Amino acid sequence: MSAVAFRGIAKRYGVAEALFPLDLEIASGEFISFLGPSGSGKSTLLNICAGYIEPTAGALFVAGRDVTAAPPRRRNIGMVFQNYALFQHLDVFENVAYGLRVRRTARAELAQRVKDALQAVRLDGFGGRSIRSLSGGQQQRVALARAMAIEPDILLMDEPLGALDKQLRKEVQIEIRRMHVARPRTTLYVTHDQEEALVMSDRIAVLRGGRLVQLGTARELYSRPVDSFVARFLGESNLIVGRVAELGDGRAMLSAQGLAAPIEGYAAQGLRMAEAACALIRPEHVRLVAGGQPARIVERLFLGEIAALRLVLPSGAELWSRLFSSDAPAGDEIEIGWDRERVSILPETS
Amino acid sequence: MTPAGAWTKAFAALLAAAIVIPVLAVAPLAFSEQSFLQLPPQDWSVRWWGVFFGDASWIRALLTSLEVAALSCLLSVTTGTSAALGLLRLGPRMRALATGLFLGPMVAPVIVLAVGLYALARSLGLVGSTIGLVLAHTMLALPYVVLNVGVSVAGLDPRLALAASGLGASPWRVFRTVTLPSILPGMLGGGIFAFVTSFDEVVLAVFLAGPSVKTLPVRIWEEVRVEYTPVVAVAATIMIILAVIGSAMGRLVTRRTA
Amino acid sequence: MNAAGRQRAMRVAVAALLLTPAMAIIALGFVAPLIRLAILSFSSPAGPLAAYRELATVDVYRVVLRNTLVLALVVSVASLAIGFALSLALMRLEAGWRAIVFACVVLPLWISVLVRTFSWMLILERNGPLNRFLAALGIVDQPLPLLFAFPGVAIGMVHVLLPYAILPIYAALSRIDPALLRASGGLGASRVTTFRRVLLPLSARGLATAATFTFLLSLGFFVTPALLGGPSDTTISMLIDSFVNERLDWPLAAAASMTLLAMALAVIGLAGRFVPVSALSEVG
Repeated sequence: MSAVAFRGIAKRYGVAEALFPLDLEIASGEFISFLGPSGSGKSTLLNICAGYIEPTAGALFVAGRDVTAAPPRRRNIGMVFQNYALFQHLDVFENVAYGLRVRRTARAELAQRVKDALQAVRLDGFGGRSIRSLSGGQQQRVALARAMAIEPDILLMDEPLGALDKQLRKEVQIEIRRMHVARPRTTLYVTHDQEEALVMSDRIAVLRGGRLVQLGTARELYSRPVDSFVARFLGESNLIVGRVAELGDGRAMLSAQGLAAPIEGYAAQGLRMAEAACALIRPEHVRLVAGGQPARIVERLFLGEIAALRLVLPSGAELWSRLFSSDAPAGDEIEIGWDRERVSILPETS
Repeated sequence: MTPAGAWTKAFAALLAAAIVIPVLAVAPLAFSEQSFLQLPPQDWSVRWWGVFFGDASWIRALLTSLEVAALSCLLSVTTGTSAALGLLRLGPRMRALATGLFLGPMVAPVIVLAVGLYALARSLGLVGSTIGLVLAHTMLALPYVVLNVGVSVAGLDPRLALAASGLGASPWRVFRTVTLPSILPGMLGGGIFAFVTSFDEVVLAVFLAGPSVKTLPVRIWEEVRVEYTPVVAVAATIMIILAVIGSAMGRLVTRRTA
Repeated sequence: MNAAGRQRAMRVAVAALLLTPAMAIIALGFVAPLIRLAILSFSSPAGPLAAYRELATVDVYRVVLRNTLVLALVVSVASLAIGFALSLALMRLEAGWRAIVFACVVLPLWISVLVRTFSWMLILERNGPLNRFLAALGIVDQPLPLLFAFPGVAIGMVHVLLPYAILPIYAALSRIDPALLRASGGLGASRVTTFRRVLLPLSARGLATAATFTFLLSLGFFVTPALLGGPSDTTISMLIDSFVNERLDWPLAAAASMTLLAMALAVIGLAGRFVPVSALSEVG
């Protein structure tokens, strides 16, 4: 039995489809991220799960129970809001205790559970502090403790790190991941930040325009994106546009103007002969190959051990590469190649 | 919050009606045919408007009201704006003290102010004079003007004035080209409020009025306390019309600043 | 004198110059009258404190004082209750309807209290629309004595005070992040619990401001009780009026004024512990 199951869940506002019918099963203890640009439907999905938005169609099961019509308070869900939504008129302890007081938890147990929750987010001893006196990162952790204290069936997080600065965001990402590994809870995490999703998730659901585009592990999404949208959204990517020249047996060849030879790679679903497509070559897979594709260096960025090079092919197409100890200056002509096992030929989506 | 259900909507609509209808209930009576006031009127006519505008004492009251309101509006806007700019230049403690003094007329019971002013005006021979009334209404409106202009002054970026004087502008030029344009909406808003406050005010006016200087509210007050005819309804309707114009202008001014 | 000192002196001089006209008006129109009243209140021929003693001992005056307080309390509580309910409803209305209802709430602020009270005289009359409406509904068979009686004064005053109650409460409510209410629900709280533990504490300051404002204003009300009340609804402000215009007893009028002023200051002082006095100005 899955922890959460969306069965044909859809949401329409008037004539605008916020979410097309969607099926998704989330395993118990799994950390799943909903990744997509704004307007992709990821927050709608999360709010449907929490019960703040009523779906227009479909059914939602939590731990095998149909909760589609249940109000938020009957779902036993812990939610961490974008701006934390902490109660300013209560101190840290009372914020964390809120859900337990509502449940009339006995005093001794309540104190213990609040203490445990605060300990889990490394805020022991902060119980008496006012919310206002906390830093953004600390407030974020109080919000997390408050959501976890009620022992929710599922934990929902709606861009919880959006208000933090970059450095702190990285730290908290790792912290959340560590907590999840130590004590796995079914977690649904909404973000528009691919790095966040890659670091923390067991699986990632990429959404776009109200549709689930791809669902898979970080590795699957990174190495085998279903289309150019996903490829662009996750990680850095070089996409060379051309036409499908050969197709068969899970492999494809892409021809494009100015290429010394067609690019071969793994063929994604939905390719058609002679139609527009693109080849995905990650920058770290571009190497110097004698007698390979000629390219000219137009820009080089110093990144320490590695240099990032902006290359331009004779066709005018641009390509980024990451090369170790290449001393070639800008303006140099070089010859490059790539491992064709790591190249994907994808349908062009945008 | 959850969106409103039918009951909530009905409750809000009912209460909104209960707030507005009594305010406007007097207006239809100004167009009544009868010579006594009863809601709703049975027959319609404009004869009481004729009576109002044919009666020199009503006309004089209306003109006195307009004169007093205009003068106290002018006086409170100029002194209030100057004060708001002065407050800005004070240290925090002095500013709090001075602001407290300016807010005084807002919180003191009107009757106390009226009796005190009456006592003072008697000894100065100012009872029944336009000056006395204008000063009293200016005092009453001043807090609102100071607050209103104060808000726009506080929103003023002090670096703008510095930049202007750095470009060689004289202090007067800085005021005219930088400060004034940005506090003008606050002045206008405060001015409209001051005008309406004075035009609407009864209690101070009743105490400070004399036989020759009577504002419209004072005339209405005198009529209403004894025996009243639909002429009073006409006078009241005129006051409502002016207030509605004032509030509309006020909204326009605040909207443009927002 | 060094340059910085000279600059500061210049600044103070400019500030003083700018403040002088307004200060003169406040001094002449606000401070001087109050000082005059204070002096008058101690100048009774029967001794400096005679006027205050009379106010404190004569039964009629004590009744008036009690009337004033009871009226202020009843009217404030009613305004607060109705104001809170309407503010909650306002929050939940769609934007368009909210703007209309809100405009209805603030419109009366622009219209003279005298005109509004006059309207109520016509509505509350023995044969007025309200009595006829109640009779038509079969709620009463005899017209209720509304005008020139306590219910009339209370209705009229609540009507005048309602905007002053609604504005601060509504402002406080609209400052509450709706996510807090969702968070409370998500943590398992019922709507009643959310109201009691989140909405109410977070709007407490707005409620306190509203309570202060309505109570303060209703203490000093003159026009509405004078026109809508009967002989037994005399308030302290009407008493002051009659001291001045009928009994021509200045010391007594001044002493009563000082008493009313002291009561107002006490309300502000008390409220100041919960609400910053500057919050009062938000309403105006």
